[in-house]
Amino acid sequence: MAEPGQDKPSPQNLPPLLFQPRATSLLRGLLAAGALSVAGAGAVALAYYHSSYWNGLGLRREQPVLFSHRHHAGELGIDCRYCHATVETSAFAGLPSTNTCLTCHSQIFTTTSMLRPVVDSAVRDQPLVWRRVNALPDHVYFNHSIHVAKGVGCTTCHGDVGAMPLTAKGETLTMRWCLDCHRNPAPRLRPPNEIFAATWRPPADQAARGAALARQLNVHTSQLTSCSTCHH
Amino acid sequence: MPPPFPHPLLRRDDEFAPGSESWPEGMSRRRFLELMAASLALAGLGACNRPPDGTIVPYVVPPDREMLEDALYYATAMPWDGYARGVLARSHSGRPTKLEGNAVHPDSLGATDALTQAAVLALYDPDRSRAPRRGGQVASWARFEDEWLGVHRDLLSRHGRGLALLTEPTTSPTELRCIHALLDRLPAARWFQHTALARFDRDGRQDDYDFGRADVVLAVEADFLFDHPSSLRYARAFASRRRVEGGRVNANRLYVIEASPSVTGSMADHRLAASPAHARRLLAALGDLLDGNKPSPALAHEERRVLAALARDLQGKAPNVVCVAGESCDDAVRDWCAARNARLGAACVTHHALPAIRSDADPRSAGDLGAAVQAMQAGGIDTLVVVGANPAYTAPADLEFARAMARVARRIHLGSHVDETAALCPWHLPEAHFLEAWSDLRAYDGTASIVQPLIAPLYGSRTAAEFIGFLAAPAGRNGYDLVRETWQHHGGADFEAAWVRWLNTGVVDGTTASRSKPTAPAKAPDLRAGASSSGVMLTIRPDPTVRDGRWANNAWLQELPKQNSQLVWDNAVFVSPTLAATLQIENGDVVQLSVAANGRSPISGRTEPARSAGSTNPNEGPTVEGPAWIALGQADDCVTVSLGYGRTAAGRVGNAVGFDAYPLRQSASPWAREGVTVRKLGRRHALVSTQTHFAMEGRDIVRVALASDPAGTAGRPPETPPSLYPPVEYPEYRWGMLIDLGACIGCKACVAACQAENNIPVVGKEQVGLGREMHWIRVDRYHSTKPGEPPVLHQPVPCMQCENAPCELVCPVAATVHSSEGLNDMVYNRCVGTRYCSNNCPYKVRRFNFLDFRAPADSPVNLQKNPEVTVRARGVMEKCTYCVQRINAGRITAEKANRRIRDGDVRTACQQACPTEAIVFGDLNDPAARVVARKAEPTHYALLEELNTRPRTTYLARTTNPALAGANRGDAA
Repeated sequence: MAEPGQDKPSPQNLPPLLFQPRATSLLRGLLAAGALSVAGAGAVALAYYHSSYWNGLGLRREQPVLFSHRHHAGELGIDCRYCHATVETSAFAGLPSTNTCLTCHSQIFTTTSMLRPVVDSAVRDQPLVWRRVNALPDHVYFNHSIHVAKGVGCTTCHGDVGAMPLTAKGETLTMRWCLDCHRNPAPRLRPPNEIFAATWRPPADQAARGAALARQLNVHTSQLTSCSTCHH
Repeated sequence: MPPPFPHPLLRRDDEFAPGSESWPEGMSRRRFLELMAASLALAGLGACNRPPDGTIVPYVVPPDREMLEDALYYATAMPWDGYARGVLARSHSGRPTKLEGNAVHPDSLGATDALTQAAVLALYDPDRSRAPRRGGQVASWARFEDEWLGVHRDLLSRHGRGLALLTEPTTSPTELRCIHALLDRLPAARWFQHTALARFDRDGRQDDYDFGRADVVLAVEADFLFDHPSSLRYARAFASRRRVEGGRVNANRLYVIEASPSVTGSMADHRLAASPAHARRLLAALGDLLDGNKPSPALAHEERRVLAALARDLQGKAPNVVCVAGESCDDAVRDWCAARNARLGAACVTHHALPAIRSDADPRSAGDLGAAVQAMQAGGIDTLVVVGANPAYTAPADLEFARAMARVARRIHLGSHVDETAALCPWHLPEAHFLEAWSDLRAYDGTASIVQPLIAPLYGSRTAAEFIGFLAAPAGRNGYDLVRETWQHHGGADFEAAWVRWLNTGVVDGTTASRSKPTAPAKAPDLRAGASSSGVMLTIRPDPTVRDGRWANNAWLQELPKQNSQLVWDNAVFVSPTLAATLQIENGDVVQLSVAANGRSPISGRTEPARSAGSTNPNEGPTVEGPAWIALGQADDCVTVSLGYGRTAAGRVGNAVGFDAYPLRQSASPWAREGVTVRKLGRRHALVSTQTHFAMEGRDIVRVALASDPAGTAGRPPETPPSLYPPVEYPEYRWGMLIDLGACIGCKACVAACQAENNIPVVGKEQVGLGREMHWIRVDRYHSTKPGEPPVLHQPVPCMQCENAPCELVCPVAATVHSSEGLNDMVYNRCVGTRYCSNNCPYKVRRFNFLDFRAPADSPVNLQKNPEVTVRARGVMEKCTYCVQRINAGRITAEKANRRIRDGDVRTACQQACPTEAIVFGDLNDPAARVVARKAEPTHYALLEELNTRPRTTYLARTTNPALAGANRGDAA
């Protein structure tokens, strides 16, 4: 049984306050700050994940030969298919064999130091080992030949290669980037004779032209976003 | 009402693994929630990996066809018991990755069997012999060649006396030419041949059958649909008489008399289970019926009814009837069948012209292994060269091969593995796999094929022809030159053009042997004489997957459920339910089989001497111990064992798996023994089978239609029940599959083909025992108890690709979703392994990677992997995708030509392998597609249709053509 005198609280018999009244505001503030920082960290992480840095955009890797696409493709105008010979027939566009380099370079610049690794490769019968610039994860099945056949040009995915002194990644090659085009390819489609053009820019009426090309080339988007189109 | 189950075997209580229903101990609810919360929080981090780095290594000098296509196919041939199975081998960047059938080849017709599918794995077997060995130490070919030069000089001086060559029988003209060259050069040398498997000729006479024409077939111990060089051709012809087309079927009728369940037996309309001795009684009675005599009354009622129907059929349908005696039958039974065929008109039998295609009876051969052992015991042999064969393991025990071999001073072995025989030979040399060899082979009908390599020998190995050629004349001709030399004069004026043509098509034109009418004994032998046995008999069979043991180190075949039992990773002693009940044996009880020391062989009646090999007690006969398997359809007076197991030097996969049945074998009578005692030992051995429930519980899982009225007996066709979901349009393609159970013989080629195509891992016996096998397509087997239905029903079950897929609704991460063409896409890189989808799948076709089943990174097995299919990691669900990689490849080809995918452009791996064309795949939106026509048959039905899953894979009912209603129970005997 409680004593009768303690029934009613009075300022005298209350315990001292553990928290000052402003603690409530502080707690609210802290909670808000915490939530904001979690969201912020998420946003930063997301931005970082989609950043050109994380995706290696513009990153030049050390290569065995100081090969310039700007010189060969841009200035000399050598067709992409001269070196990437299987781009129209195979999933893999192909990298030139040492022999391909030597079709010209058995005659020109044969003694330059820049060409030394190529000559060595031929003499020693040891292949050149290039570092990948554009790579997709192993669970993605990408086929060059069908893209080229359906009006997707080289520079659409590889960037302005003809202007690159050293080859770098031109696009992020993330799944979101792939799907942007698979959902709506028309803005990026070009006519078949422009596929390998180094400097193609969409014309002013690309919307109409792209839609016409999609019809002409039988590009159906319904199936392009199925998972098994790229993952199997 | 479902009928009661006569056999408790049909259902078992081990559907769930022990402990699977109880909560794991030591895991509190709180802890479980903690872990789940942590998994959820961390789940996203899996996506945080940087784009991959890597290298590209182009050629210095590109090959002729610098990878212009992603996959190239080359025509070659695979040896099957020495005969050719024509194949198209697929090569990805120079690696053979899969074998498909060659439509032009007479023994393939575009199809393959499970062995052919698994043969590509044998190329990459990590246990293959990788180097010549001298006394167990790694040596070199150069050292062997040096040594042989001396031996050869010595042998030349005595015209080859003392040299014995032991090979397997072969059909290869080049290998035979090299052997003959060796015998020409060293005329006193002797050439012996040995195989533990059957001979397919008798005295050089080779029978061939036309099962497309035969209205009535009697098979006596003959597994012609499965275990024959021409089984693919036979299966195709047989199935052509079982296929309901336009609502009708011109069905044949198959009667089978056999001791143990076989693939052919499972297709029988009437099957009598009988030991070989009892089979003779049955045939004698049948002979009496055919001749109008009164048969002996000593047969069971059921047997008399079936035999009477059979006699009526044989006489009524003559001459379009055929009696086939299996290779394991004794001569009297085979003569009986030949004589009966001759008397009934024999319209479906032909002989291939002499000499026989395979070299068993080659006149220059000095005989079989028995002769070789005799010669070695006599001491006349000082140099023994074993090529390809493994007699130390496969020799009948009574020959005591190892002891005889020890008397030979110089022993040389050429083989793909350092096997039991290699262990007894000071010199072992690695033999090339057929995918890395130039050679040639002949089909059963004589058609020759050039065997061309797809890859340079991985381990510096050589072919048998190269090796024997070197033995004859140590000049070192290579296989290419040898093969071209053989065919030099066959091609006519332009040999080079012909050569290219042969390599392209896979067959050498104009080599098919001419056919002749069979010659048969005028009078059928009296079979009553040898049929007096009593007591339990033993029959010995090649294993359906590892054969005589040569495939024992092939993990795909070890894990392929056996066609006759669904067992994996084991062989077993097959006993009938009645015998098991008498002896109180249960599945997995280890039993001892002993043959009385004075046990007579049923054929020759020769008394067998007591032997010690494999015997625990030398006073008794040979003894073997193995686990029992109670098999429906097994004859009550007969137990059956299969060869190929209990190996000691097969490799890491095949060693110490199963038990060795060779000690029970006797050279005079390799396939059957009398006077067998079965004794229960009290020990148990865990047998693992992929199916434990064989009853349909009264549901129409497999429907059966009578050939006389398919439409009226197959039950109702599929309906589309109402659904709450809005209908989905599939405007482009609508993929669908049809499986014709009338044509399916249950050979499981589809299972092996799927494994090869889709990089399906092998999980091992223990994991299969936990129900974790990974096959994307399985062949279920049911034992029907309904009168009038066949006792064994096969049903291949891949993913049904349901339109209302229960799996898709429950995936929390959308890792399995519907594609625009109606496939249930499975996205491995999204899957987090909840297994909800598998739990919600009524067909149980989803498989989960419980462990990391991938081969180590440096294993050669990885070279076999199909680069078009993801190799799945641990914790990922997987399932049949209708070979979506093939659909995509077909689509890309078609789209590049700006056309639609045509019917037949895309064939799934299972469809392509199927010998009977039971699987049809295509676009349901294409009215001209074959799959649409087949789905219009009246026997069409959907599996578990009442669940309204709307499966895209549907079935045609099994067709059966019994002569008597209710009389076709397989275990009638």
